[in-house]
Amino acid sequence: MLALEPANRIINDLLTEKFIKPSSLDQAFVDFDSVRYHLSTPTKKTQLLLSMDIPCWGELVQYGALEVIQREYGQFVTETEQDYAVSLLIDTETVPEAGEARTALITSFSLLKRNALAAPFERAFARQKELEAKGPPGENEVVEKEQLMGVHYRPEEAIYLLPSPDRVTIIFSTIFKEETDRIFGRVFLQEFVDARRRPSCQTAPQVLYSNREPPLEIRHLQGLADGENVGYVTFVLFPRHFSSAETAFSTITQIQLFRDYLHYHIKCSKAYMHSRMRQRVAQFLKVLNRAKPEPAGEKERKTASGRSFVRS
Amino acid sequence: MAGLAPVVLDNGTGSAKMGFAGNSDPSFVLPSCIATRGGNAASSSRAPAVPNKPSSLGSGGHLASKRGIDDLDFFIGHEALEHSKTYSVNYPIRHGQIEDWDQMERYWEQCIFKYLRCEPEDHDFLLTEPPLNAPENREATAEIMFESFNVKGLYIAVQAVLALAASWSSAKVTDRTLTGTVIDSGDGVTHVIPVAEGYVIGSAIRHIPIAGRDISSFVQQLLRERGETGIPPEDSLRVAEKIKEDYSYVCGDMVKEFGKYDKDPSKFFALYEGLDTRTGKAYKVDVGYERFLAPEIFFNPEIASSDFLTPLPDVVDQVIQNSPIDVRRGLYNNIVLSGGSTMFDHFGRRLQRDLKHIVDTRIQTSEALSGGLMRSTGVNVNVVTHKKQRYAVWFGGSLLASTPEFHGYCHSKADYDEVGPSLVRRFAIFGSATN
Repeated sequence: MLALEPANRIINDLLTEKFIKPSSLDQAFVDFDSVRYHLSTPTKKTQLLLSMDIPCWGELVQYGALEVIQREYGQFVTETEQDYAVSLLIDTETVPEAGEARTALITSFSLLKRNALAAPFERAFARQKELEAKGPPGENEVVEKEQLMGVHYRPEEAIYLLPSPDRVTIIFSTIFKEETDRIFGRVFLQEFVDARRRPSCQTAPQVLYSNREPPLEIRHLQGLADGENVGYVTFVLFPRHFSSAETAFSTITQIQLFRDYLHYHIKCSKAYMHSRMRQRVAQFLKVLNRAKPEPAGEKERKTASGRSFVRS
Repeated sequence: MAGLAPVVLDNGTGSAKMGFAGNSDPSFVLPSCIATRGGNAASSSRAPAVPNKPSSLGSGGHLASKRGIDDLDFFIGHEALEHSKTYSVNYPIRHGQIEDWDQMERYWEQCIFKYLRCEPEDHDFLLTEPPLNAPENREATAEIMFESFNVKGLYIAVQAVLALAASWSSAKVTDRTLTGTVIDSGDGVTHVIPVAEGYVIGSAIRHIPIAGRDISSFVQQLLRERGETGIPPEDSLRVAEKIKEDYSYVCGDMVKEFGKYDKDPSKFFALYEGLDTRTGKAYKVDVGYERFLAPEIFFNPEIASSDFLTPLPDVVDQVIQNSPIDVRRGLYNNIVLSGGSTMFDHFGRRLQRDLKHIVDTRIQTSEALSGGLMRSTGVNVNVVTHKKQRYAVWFGGSLLASTPEFHGYCHSKADYDEVGPSLVRRFAIFGSATN
């Protein structure tokens, strides 16, 4: 598994099962970035209530998350369950027949978190188009500073989006809790920077990585975490990365999961290192075992036919 | 972060149960197998589980010789079985113990990131281990969990203790004690494990080589001997499993039951209807005596096996008699069932009756021997059945991990950094009568 899947598997599995055979259900589970889900049947078996809580919901609403949710799940949105940010009510009696339509519906539900987080990205892309259409500012025109959108999706970690006339800059701040992780992370991110030099990856977005020093775009912000373990990753997206609806969709999906992707791969790299260490230990043990002295004392001798005898 | 539920992972020999604490069912139940692209893919795909073969060390297709992103090219669970043609499938857990740590580490990678989708930094983890697990295995588990995954906190619980905790959900249980005898019967083997105040009495554990798989093949054999010709040969084991799960029950008396069936066959004989997986044709199978004979092999093993002849109630009695004398009453009083093969109807009732009989006979003998000078107050025998029996271990874990004080009992990452792997040699038992 190279990249993480955007869809939540538990929602997917549970809905697939319950659409076929409705039964009462009450499950609470999570997704990356401290997202909490609750899928239950509060009133009757055919009424599934899917609620999601996401820590940065307040910010997302400012950037138009409600509209996105309304657009994607219009008829399903219902009164929000307590302690959660958004709730959808699904009636298993009205879902389409088993087949493509139903699979598409289930997939769309399992992308709930992705869609909620997509709002600021979509807004940034739209703003970029506006700015581009307006053209370059005149000589004496005062250029208003573009609003920076911050999404604090984890405590101490955030995504910042800055639309400008020719590009959208996306900055991630991430915290490495462990010294080893920081080193792995640096090597890994350096690979991103280097990979772009290869001819096959020329069209990929530009990636910049800085440790400790926040990039210029966000340096003016107050309250940025400071310390050796903070890293900043900057993606520069050009209009071609979100020109059509599909590319925009996949760009948003992939960039949202970037932090989790990074941490997943740091863990996989560590697992790989561990397996190499284990193999090396096994090899050394073999060498040590070879060096063991033969047990002292007379060994049992055997004749050619396999019989043993005792020398008197 | 207070809001995030602890993760409960129960890695068994046959299947891994995983989910979040507080739920009543695991979110995923996957076969404990991993499909890797090894050098020996062609040979081992035909024989997926070669027993006792150390698959990690020294073989040509070892992971460490690979470069690039090959180490990410693997599948777990059902997906692993689907890819068994092109990948080599391995079971990293044997007899409940983790044998191949490389594969297990990667198995957990996908458990956490692909299936559960959580960040290990934010969650406490509750893992399970079989009774009498070596402390070195615990340490290795902790190394992986803390160093690879940076989990926030870790608690490793013994499966039998969790099964006891799961029985608290039964209406019959009034005091939440961690003393009792656990009968854990899965697919491969049945264990009888005495637990006193949360500690396993290791010297008294007994294993019975009769479990789910044996029952299935016994049913299969019965069907074959009776000449049920309708069953397609390739489906025969599956049909036997289905009959075992859907039609079987435990009877009170085998001979009477035979009589009942012979007197009024139409009332007791059932009909199983199936579809041939290959040709799609429907077929019918009569289900007769195997309905009560299948689980009967626990109580009369001689009808199926020739090398193990002690009935389950006798084994349970011996286990309790081998335990220290001061806990025996508690052990008789709380006998807890766990695992899929204890799900038969009336299984608990029959076990309780037979065991009670054994105990009462012994008391009478000793009263007679004392010449009427001693009177016994009697011993309560109580077998607890409950709804969560199938995934009892996982459910018990979920129950304990959802209590607010669970976090305090976990070993945290900071402790681990301070002390090292030997930290996990001890875990405080919690959840007993005090709460």
